Amino acid sequence: MSQGVFAELHALLRPERLLADPLADGRGVRLCIVDTGVHRELLLQHHPRASLADAAVFREDRPEPLPDPGTPSSPHGTTVADIILRLAPAVSLYSANVFGPLGTCEARTIIRAIRHAMDAWNCRIINLSLGIPEPRLQLAAKRLELLRIVEEAYYRDVLIVAAASNDHPLTRSYPAAFAPPLLSVDKGPFADPLSFDYRLQEQVEFRAHAQGRLGPFATQPATSWAAPHLAGIAARLLSLRPELKPFEIKALLYWLSRSPFIE
Amino acid sequence: MIPETVLIVDDERDVRETFVGWLREANLGCELLAAASVPEALTHANQRTIDLAILDWNLGAGLTGLDLLEDLQAFNPDIVAIMITGYAHQATPLMAMRLGVRDYLDKNQGLTRDLFLGVVQRQLERIRPARLQRRVHEGLAAFHQAVEQVLPLVQTAAALNDPIPVSAAARAVIRYAIASTGASQGILVLRSYVETSEPPEQVSAYDAEGRELAMPLAFSASLAAATLGMGRPCVLDDFQGVGLQPFESQRSNLLAVPLELAAGHVAVLELFDRPGGFDAATQQQAANLGALAAEVLRQALAERENSRLLLDALLQARRIGQEVQEALRPLQSSTTPEVRARLEATLAHRPDATIDPAPTLRLAEAIRRLAALYGTPAVDHCTRLVEGLHELLREVTQ
Repeated sequence: MSQGVFAELHALLRPERLLADPLADGRGVRLCIVDTGVHRELLLQHHPRASLADAAVFREDRPEPLPDPGTPSSPHGTTVADIILRLAPAVSLYSANVFGPLGTCEARTIIRAIRHAMDAWNCRIINLSLGIPEPRLQLAAKRLELLRIVEEAYYRDVLIVAAASNDHPLTRSYPAAFAPPLLSVDKGPFADPLSFDYRLQEQVEFRAHAQGRLGPFATQPATSWAAPHLAGIAARLLSLRPELKPFEIKALLYWLSRSPFIE
Repeated sequence: MIPETVLIVDDERDVRETFVGWLREANLGCELLAAASVPEALTHANQRTIDLAILDWNLGAGLTGLDLLEDLQAFNPDIVAIMITGYAHQATPLMAMRLGVRDYLDKNQGLTRDLFLGVVQRQLERIRPARLQRRVHEGLAAFHQAVEQVLPLVQTAAALNDPIPVSAAARAVIRYAIASTGASQGILVLRSYVETSEPPEQVSAYDAEGRELAMPLAFSASLAAATLGMGRPCVLDDFQGVGLQPFESQRSNLLAVPLELAAGHVAVLELFDRPGGFDAATQQQAANLGALAAEVLRQALAERENSRLLLDALLQARRIGQEVQEALRPLQSSTTPEVRARLEATLAHRPDATIDPAPTLRLAEAIRRLAALYGTPAVDHCTRLVEGLHELLREVTQ
């Protein structure tokens, strides 16, 4: 292929063409936030037309999810949800609280939530603004179990967006370090919420805008806020082309990040 | 389960040995004792709990089996007896039944081995459930007593065994953090979540003087919870729109440090109002300080946690014991006061009410207890007695 064909393609993959499309608002996309649960009323105050489809609490000691009592374990998940709804206001949002009242989560709980998001909620995007640092996931069997669900999601066309450790690359965190089957995100120094770039560093491929608006510490740059920015952008792309596979979304994001229109 | 003890009392040696022989051969799973006289029988009763007594009616010296049974009751009020008599009519049925005589065998009228063993076996089968129930109650009472005795000891030990009170540890940590970071003030929020405790969540906050502070805002909506969600030291300069505890309001800046102590136990160190704000270097310093603070708090909590676990276990054991006792009570307890009051009211307002309802209810209660202990035959016997009395009175008054 000639250089001209790529240039032509590149010219078509412009953010204002794809991300600014009026139909690119997350419509028809089911997105699950695996986090601390979300504050439903607070979100509806800020996003009155948001579709908060379903929510459940997952625990390590129970195979089945529990009904969500409506009180998140901490404000973290609500900040994540707010970021996604600002970028893709028409998504159908699902909340999997994997922290529960204890406020901690284990690999098995995350696996249960991912499975439920795929099997019961039929979500196409799963946002994980969390991670288990490598020292806490020493057991190879446990790590393999987590990797298997990430791979299963990939083969079922479900895009997992996972936040890298805030100390990346000093600390490796899972499942973000399982990239490439998923989209791993580090925090980037961008002013625009739609800005991101491809910058491969220790298995983490992308960086995104890393500040939120709703909730304590939302304005403090964090990978927790970077991941939902890229998840929201992916939801925009999926609402334009629902048949896109994770690797296609990743390729599009790669191309878009090389666009001169992105910072 | 300890086997039932059967005591055979007969002054005739042949009869006594025959009965013992029959029971031994039948191997009914009970322990056998034999006595030739009243003193010998009472000596046995003084040493063992007699469950079933097989008593000759005529024990010599003018004493009857019923007299002996009355004495044996002093050792075991639940004793049951089979009376061996040539003249059963001498026994007043009601009196004998009240004392625990459940059957009669007439040794002058075809008393065979099978008949004897059949009667004994029937009584043993009736004794066993009541005996089991009694043992459960005795066991529970002993358990309850043991827990009640240990509980104050554990509470005292817990009070004495608290080398670093949590408030003192919190004070030390906060003061050290303030001195290290240049913050003006600080507080420490401690949160424990133990599902088996009631309530499961315990949240407390201490200031630099070790005083406990009020936390009206739910922990899950607090800055402390948000800090734990972030998993690293966080800085806040703009408090606009953030839910705050009273001790967090009117602040210019905040550095919050999450401290993971143990499973279910977390803490957040909040430092306030550093002139010029908390820079990156101070944040890093606070992160390092967090590890030290967590260790100090972990040690303070460990002692308290050990005592709490022991106390919780004991309190739970006491509660379960009480619940089991409550669950078993309907089998033996009398009618509840509420039911009794309702019945009294109903009886008093009946158009044919001629007497005070209390004695009527006493009779009903006596029959109910009889039914609970001895089943339908005992109630049938009562019915026959009442009908006989009714017949007698009708004849007399006519």
